[in-house]
This record gives sequence, structure tokens and C-alpha cells, in this order.
Amino acid sequence: MKKSFYPKLAITNIRKNARTVVPFIITCILTIMMFFMMSSLCQNTGLNSMESGSQSLIVVLQLGTIVIGIFSVIFLFYTYSFLMKRRKKEFGLYNILGMDKKHIAKVISFETLFIGVFSMIVGLLGGVLFNKLIYMALIKLMHFNASFDFQLTSEPVVNTVILFTIIFILMLLNTLRQVHVSKPIELLRGGNTGEKEPKTKWVLAIVGLLCLGCGYYISLTTINPLQAMMLFFVAVILVIIGTYCLFTAGSIAILKLLRKNKNYYYKTKNFVSVSGMIYRMKQNAVGLANICILATMVLVMLSSTVSLYIGSEEVLNKMYPYDCSITTQGTVSDDIYNTKLKIANKALRDNNVTSSEPYRVRELGAYGVRSNNSFESKDLTDAYSADCAAIIVMPVSDYNNINGTNAALNDDQVLTYSSKTGYTGDTFTIDNTTFNVKEKLTHFEEISYLASQMMDTTYVIVKDISIFNQITGNNNTNGEVVIPDDKLKQYNMEQVFSFNMDGATTEEVNAVQKQIYNDYMDLDCGGYLSFKETSKADFYTIYGGLFFVGIFLGTLFIMATVLIIYYKQISEGYDDKERFKIMQKVGMSKHEIKKSINSQVLVVFFLPLIVAIIHIAFAFPVITRLLSVLALTNTVLYIICTIVSIVIFAVIYAIVYALTSKVYYKIVE
Amino acid sequence: MAILEVNNLKKIYTTRFGGNQVQALSNVTFSVNGGEFVAIMGESGSGKTTLLNILASLDKPTSGEVMLNNKNIVSIKEKDIAKFRRDNLGFVFQDFNLLDTFSLKDNIFLPLVLSGKSPKEMDDRIKPISDKLEISSLLEKFPYEVSGGQKQRAAVARALITNPQLILADEPTGALDSRAADHLLNMFEDINNNGQTILMVTHSIKAASSAKRVLFIKDGAVFHQIYKASMTNEEMYQKISDTLTLIATGGER
Repeated sequence: MKKSFYPKLAITNIRKNARTVVPFIITCILTIMMFFMMSSLCQNTGLNSMESGSQSLIVVLQLGTIVIGIFSVIFLFYTYSFLMKRRKKEFGLYNILGMDKKHIAKVISFETLFIGVFSMIVGLLGGVLFNKLIYMALIKLMHFNASFDFQLTSEPVVNTVILFTIIFILMLLNTLRQVHVSKPIELLRGGNTGEKEPKTKWVLAIVGLLCLGCGYYISLTTINPLQAMMLFFVAVILVIIGTYCLFTAGSIAILKLLRKNKNYYYKTKNFVSVSGMIYRMKQNAVGLANICILATMVLVMLSSTVSLYIGSEEVLNKMYPYDCSITTQGTVSDDIYNTKLKIANKALRDNNVTSSEPYRVRELGAYGVRSNNSFESKDLTDAYSADCAAIIVMPVSDYNNINGTNAALNDDQVLTYSSKTGYTGDTFTIDNTTFNVKEKLTHFEEISYLASQMMDTTYVIVKDISIFNQITGNNNTNGEVVIPDDKLKQYNMEQVFSFNMDGATTEEVNAVQKQIYNDYMDLDCGGYLSFKETSKADFYTIYGGLFFVGIFLGTLFIMATVLIIYYKQISEGYDDKERFKIMQKVGMSKHEIKKSINSQVLVVFFLPLIVAIIHIAFAFPVITRLLSVLALTNTVLYIICTIVSIVIFAVIYAIVYALTSKVYYKIVE
Repeated sequence: MAILEVNNLKKIYTTRFGGNQVQALSNVTFSVNGGEFVAIMGESGSGKTTLLNILASLDKPTSGEVMLNNKNIVSIKEKDIAKFRRDNLGFVFQDFNLLDTFSLKDNIFLPLVLSGKSPKEMDDRIKPISDKLEISSLLEKFPYEVSGGQKQRAAVARALITNPQLILADEPTGALDSRAADHLLNMFEDINNNGQTILMVTHSIKAASSAKRVLFIKDGAVFHQIYKASMTNEEMYQKISDTLTLIATGGER
């Protein structure tokens, strides 16, 4: 009997505290399940043996596992300590009833053991059960039709058990430490020691405001995608700091200002709410800021990964306008072109594949500075600075070839197209050569999509390639088009040969690609090849993987948000219970009390969501720019994905609100 | 003139599933005149708290009526009760019941805010009351920053500020040390001498002896009463304690 006393007591305790313990256990189970599934995906030999993009996918998955691992530690630790705080009184009572701290420690240890073992078993079982499903979902997302053998290895199980055993031991040690250092009376009093009124920290509030302002400003004003990539993280960190400062200091500063305004403050509606909120914010500001940042992260992650995934076909077509292209640099000679043509034709013939007319693009490119209608080239090594612009010069014949037009130009005439900013005037100057602009094009099939997204690119279409010599200042007499030696650092010339294979099956396309690749590499004449079909597989692997991890982490974060909110509501319920009893005694009607509770709970609940949505609204410009680096320019798609994510999140949030406020009212009444 | 009349008050508690019935008040009848200071004494379980809850309109009697200024508070509709309570009654509790989120001043203002008074009027009203209760210098402080006696005086101020018909005090000295208790009782006497009607429930003979009349409740009915008349507090104390002994030893009245 004596032996089984502590375990029995532990079980009774768990049962008695079901209201708080059960959600915690469920969270443990789900977290364990997720971690297990993610780490077993990483170890999956099927994915490892995949042909294309498998390495990057594994890296994405591994990163996902690490994030889940770190997050589980923080999250479970946080919720557990929260759980224990509520139970201090119980421990105090045990202590007074004659249980040693050693005995209490024993009970707590048993409780943690039971919770840990139970959730570990259920979590792992659930993980194994759903693993296959998740695996199939991932395969499906990545557009693989081959199904791999699915096998269970022991490594993920061991990893999961080790990680979560450590987490549970840490939680236990922390609780034991708390019980150990406290005095019985303190334990008995538990949470309700006299709360001091928070001080107004103006400095912190202003710092928060500045940080947030800077973060927003960066997002709104950074036009250059390259800069955006670098500044994005700065902005994220600024906004996070700003959010914490504003939730902790800013909220209290505002509430205190409201309190100073007598005509506003001394109204039934505001009186109780404002003063209540000051204390609520003191206790909950950090938690609310956490929720807010989590929510923002979930929404940004979901909306961007989903829109990348949905938009991947479109992105692919933009980045690879042709099924196959071969690029050589440094020369635009016909010899090279004819060699390529021969190789391609042979491959097509051998595989019985018909192709479109080949496209030929010869271009002269340069980086430099453009001011209105004149461009001055700079050293290529200086490229990728913030105000860098680019020009691409091509002959009108190639232009007609791609665009299906038949424009004709004189020696001094050009057509131009600007990817970002236009210019004024009827002439365009490249270094020392000035051209008359015949037409400013409004539509253009871009050939170098990425470059033109990254920087301000102007396409200049000239009469023929002899103009290249004129621009580069090449005055050799044999008529060969080359860049003079002293300008090699400033200009770059390349020739692209591309064609489409319409109506060919994937197998045929792959065979052609393989042959062209081998034949071309045998020539050893430099340059590079790009195949749409190969890239497509890579695309789906990476974007599918990102999408998968996005949804996975999104679910985890939502779960975290829900649980934090739930605990917040419960603990506040207990705190508010007394307060509202008093108010009823001094003449506040039930209706008034309910109204006041409602307004406070609503604010506390929806403030993080609203701030998260504001964050996202301000992050919108910079994220669209980042996505454009990844060639996703379909802003409408991104907007739709964002709105759908917000709506789904808000609905889940509202459901959680409805459920938890029910519990809250039950406690208060 | 009777400000409060309690007639044949009866309260029976029924356990949730209708099993046992407990009679908390069997038949209580008494009245309080304007300007009186009445103490109600009785042992634990005698029905004091039930009586006070009914007078405070926090609870409904099974039968009987409670007339406050000739208005039966038993029949007031649920939605008007809160307003009635804050306009006509002032409360002082054993454990102060001050809200820790409010400064003392805001705690005192609470009932006024609820009745929609202007900030100016509130400021006008608090001045004389806080002076009288000697808490003027503490108004900006928070409950956790002041002593028990000071908290209770703030609670008294909160009860007084609405100029209620009747102040209901539930063991007001219960959580105070003897000096603070004496101070508070002196103030109660002062307030009463200024015309305020007070009804106080208490265990403490000391507290009861400052009242002008003491009612004894036993087994849910008024058992006996003593008028102070011209007695000093000490004589009153003696008389109350004799009566209690009598009740405890089961003697006839």
C-alpha cells in the first residue's frame, strides 16, 4: 500500500487537474508525433535515393526537424511551468498536511513520468500510424509518381525518445527547483500575491515604436530585391523587437494615458476595463507578443510557401521559356550556333521528336549606372550593388524571331524596353554611342527573366550585331564581332540557342536532353545547358518540400498559439473570479460585468491577431519583392494565398476563442 | 420612522438534487429606524450571513418580505437589482473587498462611476468623506500598499460616497488588529451620529457594544435584543457578554 501511494496520488492529481493537464498531454502527443514524423522523413532512404533536388529537400526537412525540436523545448517548457504555477496552492496544502518536500517531489516526479511515458507512447504510435500518410502526401506534393518502399528505421524513434526525455526531465527539474526554494506559505498563496501596478516605461515604448517604424519603413521603401533580401532579416528583427516593446511598454503607456483622461476613464464601460487591462497587460504582454509573432510567422510562412507552390508552374515558364537552351558566352559567331543546331537536330532525329523552329538570341550585356536615357557601363565585378542597372543589346532579327514580329531598323535606330523604370527623351545613349529611339516597347518576351527582376534592366534592340562593335568601340577591320580586350571587364557577350519540343512525352524529352547533354559536353566548348523538364522536377521537389514544411510548422505554431491562449484564459479566469465577485457586491450588475469581461477578453484575444495582420500588411511589399527574386510575380496569387491563410487562421482563432471563453465564464461564474 | 422592515423572513436551502433541506432562517422579523446603529450577533450557523445576503439583495428569501423605505426589495426585478443596490445600500466587508487593480481613490469612486456621475461631482464628494476617515493622503495608493485598517476605512468611504439609505457591514473589524478596530468603530459611531443608518453583523462583543441596539439571532430567528440607551460602551459590553453566556448555556430569555 505504501509503495503504491505516490503513483496513486499522482494519477488522482492528473485526473483532478484534467482541465489544464489534458490539453498539455494532447500537445505533448502532437509535438512528439510531429517531431517523429519529420525526423523519420529525413532518414527516409527513399527520399535519399531520389534523383533530382533530393539534397536540398533533405536540407529543408532537416531544418524543419531542428526548428520543431527547438520549438518543442521552449514551448513544452513554457506551458508546463505555467501548469505548475497554477498548482502551487495544492503543493502548499500537501506541505502543510505533513508531506515533506521530498514527498511532494516524488508525487511530481510520478506525475511527470506518467504524462511523459503516456504521451511518448501515444505520440510515437500516432507518428508511426500517420507517417506513411504524411510520406505519401509529401511525394504527391513533389509530383513524384514513383512510390518508394516505405520503411521504419529505429533512428528517428531513438532521436524522439531522447529529445523528449530530456525535455521532460528539464521540466521536472525546473518544477522541483521551484517547489524546493519556496516556503509552504508561499506555496499556499500561490499565484495571488499582491501585484504591483506596472510602471510606465516610456523609453521602451518609444524604442518599440521606432523599431516597428524602421521595420515597416524598410519593407515599404526597399525596391531593389537584392537589397530586400539582405534587409528583410533586419526588418524582421526590428519588428520582433518592436512588437515586444510595444506589447509590454507601449500598451501600458497607452492605458495609463487613457486613465489620466478623467472624462474617458470614469465611465462604467471604461473604468473597469482600463484598469483591468493594465494588470492583464503586465502579466500577459510577453505572452501576447509571443502569440502575435507566432501568428505572423505562421501566416507569412503559409502564404508564401503555398503561393510559391501553386505558382511554381508559372515561375517555371518564366524562368525557362524554352524546353531546352544552350548558352555560350564570349562569342556570337555562327559556327557555334551551327554546331549546336547540328547536335540538337541529331538528338531530335534519333529520338523521333519534332521540335519548334530554333530560337537564336545574340546579346551584348553590361552592368552600370543609368541616368534617365544614358547608360554608362561599369566593371562587371562591381555589379550587384544597390543602384546597379543593366542593359541587354540584341539584334532586331533575333527580336523578331522570339516575338514573332518583323520590325526593321536603320543603323542609328533602336527599340527599347525597360523592365522597371522608364526614361524620357527620344534618344538612348550607351557609353559613347547615342541612338534614336524608334519605339519604346510595352511588351517584350524577356529572355533573362531573373536578371531583369533583380535590377533595372533595359533591352536595346539594334539593327544587327555589327552595332555591338560600335558600342564596345571595337574597330578591327575583319568585321568579326568581339569585345576588345580592354573592355572585357565591362561587356559580356553571349549566344543562346533554344527550342521547344511540343507534344513529346516526358520520357522522350528526357532522352533528347540526355543525348544533347552528352554530345555537347564532348565538344568541350564552354557554356551551359538548361532543360525545363529537369528544372521542373527540382522545382517541385524544393517548393513541394517547402510547402510541406510550411504546413507542418504552421500546424505546430497554430497549436502552440491555441494552447497559450487556452492557458491564458484559464489562469485569468481564476484571477478575475474574485474581482468580479467584489464588483457584484458593490453594485455592478451581472450584465455589466459580463460586458466588461467580454471587452477585456476580446481585446486580449484579438489584439495579437490584429497586430499580426498589420505586420503582414506592412511586410507585403518586401515579401512580394522577395518572391519576385524567386520569379513569382503573380501578386494576385500571393494576395489570395495571404487572405486565405488569414481567414483560415482567424476562423481557427475564433473557434478557440469561443471554446476558451466558455471555460473562462464557467470559472468566473 | 422605520427605514428597514424585515417581516417573517424565511430561507430554506435545498441541496442540488432536492434531497436535504436546511432551514437557515425560520422566521425573522425586526425593523431598523432611520439613524439607528444596529448590530446583529449570533453564533456561526445562526443565519447571520444568510440574513445579510438577503438584505443586500444578493440572495432571495423563500418567503417573507424586506421593506427598505417602504419598497419591497424581494420583488425588485433581477435587472434593476444592481442599480438598486448601489443607490440605496453601502457595503463594508470583513476582507475589505477592494479591487487590487484600482487605487484607493478609484475603489471609492467605483459605485459613483457605475451610476454615471461626472468626474467633478466625484471629486467633490470624496473630499469630506476622505477627510473624515483620515485617508486623504492615501488616495493615490493601491490596496497592497496600505495597512488593513486603512483599507477598511477606504472600504467605508466607498460605502458612504453614494449617500446610501443603509450601510450593511459584515464583520467589519474581523480582519483588523485591536487598535485599527477601535479606530474604525469610533468612526462608525461618528458616522452614525451624523445620521447614517448602519446595520452591522458581528461576532465581536467589542464591535457590537458600540452599536445602539444589538439583536441576537439563534437558529434562524431573532432571539433577543438589547438597547444601549444611556449605557457606556463598557456597560454595554458587559450586558452583551452576559446575554451571550445566557444563550450559550441554553437559559430561557
